[in-house]
Amino acid sequence: MAELTISMEDFLKFREYFYRKTGIQFDDAKRYFVDRRLIERVETTDSRNFRNYFMMLRFEASGEELQALTNLMTVNETYFFREEYQFKCLVNSILPELTKSRKNQGPIRIWSMPSSSGEEAYSIAMYLLEYWPGINQWDVEIISSDIDTKILDQARRGYYSPRSVANLPKNLLSKYFSVSGEGFQICDDLKEAVEFTRVNLMNSVDVRGYRGFDVIFCRNLLIYFDDLSRRQAADTFYDALHPGGFLCLGHSESMSRISSLYQARKFSDSVVYQKSKEAR
Amino acid sequence: MPIVKKTTSAVKNRVERKQGRDCSTLLRQLSDKNPIARRWAVKDLVDCLDVSDELVELLRWEEDSSVREIILTTLTRRADEQAVAGLVECLRSEDASLRNEAIEAMKLLPDEVAPIMGLLLADADPDVRIFAVNVMESLRHEKVEKWLKEVIECDPHVNVCATAVDLLGEVGTPYSREALENLKMRFPGEPYIRFAADLALKRILSI
Repeated sequence: MAELTISMEDFLKFREYFYRKTGIQFDDAKRYFVDRRLIERVETTDSRNFRNYFMMLRFEASGEELQALTNLMTVNETYFFREEYQFKCLVNSILPELTKSRKNQGPIRIWSMPSSSGEEAYSIAMYLLEYWPGINQWDVEIISSDIDTKILDQARRGYYSPRSVANLPKNLLSKYFSVSGEGFQICDDLKEAVEFTRVNLMNSVDVRGYRGFDVIFCRNLLIYFDDLSRRQAADTFYDALHPGGFLCLGHSESMSRISSLYQARKFSDSVVYQKSKEAR
Repeated sequence: MPIVKKTTSAVKNRVERKQGRDCSTLLRQLSDKNPIARRWAVKDLVDCLDVSDELVELLRWEEDSSVREIILTTLTRRADEQAVAGLVECLRSEDASLRNEAIEAMKLLPDEVAPIMGLLLADADPDVRIFAVNVMESLRHEKVEKWLKEVIECDPHVNVCATAVDLLGEVGTPYSREALENLKMRFPGEPYIRFAADLALKRILSI
């Protein structure tokens, strides 16, 4: 099969379309960046060539492919306190509601996935320690999972680039990190606070043990799945959550189009999804 | 610093199962009174042979939404002949939610639905033909536009053509231009068809 390429004409056509849809403009210097991601989506969607893919992108009724491509074109790497509004929602709304209705004093269990290099899970730990008074009354278990064992090792090491911690307030950076070489080493207390595990979300054997969670963070992952895989993921999260538990997705993702089992909850900081309290 | 507790038992590596997971036991559990048992039975039946008929049958009477949803996911994952045939039968149901669930599930099965799309579009019941067009709404298959074009060229029922022309407005290309023009002449007394065909043409020609 001939190697997929994006011609200059294709690039210009896409650039114009993408700008009209999103307001994001790519200059000629971004050609390689754009081409690589376009080719990735052409292959993932089995479109065979740019022309087929572009037709599908423009006329797909649901707009999901445009969303997936938009995220691919805008996502770089993860970093501490990314989409911080959801952590605010966690401490200001979700945890107060959960602990108020809790009938036992068992630990609050949070599952963060995909872990990537650990920034999200450590951010959750930091946020709880800094901004949730309930941390003095409740134990919290944070489990963070990823399919990639190398990235999990990196997460466990807890060593980050200046770019990764750039969004952190200075006082938290100095409190939880030490300067090490050209980067930052996260403190042992935080490393001890998070358990990193390898899991393939699509493997029923892998996920069977993941049960009894109060909150699940799964941000900017489902956009890369096809419809059936999204439904499988929604089923897995449903079984992993306690009744009344919460699911936090990325800003561009919605459970409403995937599953009818979750209720959208609009809090002041964020919209999240909740498993029915009456569910068993 | 307060402690965020790390636990060594955070993940239960081995979940104790109350009942066996062999296929015949799982089939018996489909009639368990506990919806959680039914849900897990359905989930674990995904790799068992010749169980799609039983899953479709359960879908007809199951009231728990979490069980219904896992049945649909499981049928979609199985995607065997019985599963597809069962979903097609659901299109004939009087139960609107069952029909809609079947349509949503079939949208996820382009390769399995494609070989029977011709039969669905030739069904004697115009409602079934409309549902077949609904399935095409987000069916990822290269023949979608061809099928829709054939519908507006040949289907005698105005409502089936109206559903198809709406969709052509979203997915059509100049390939359907002539058929859209002709459609207006096939139903000269139907103002909606004229409106929808003109709108589809406008969209297609602005590409």
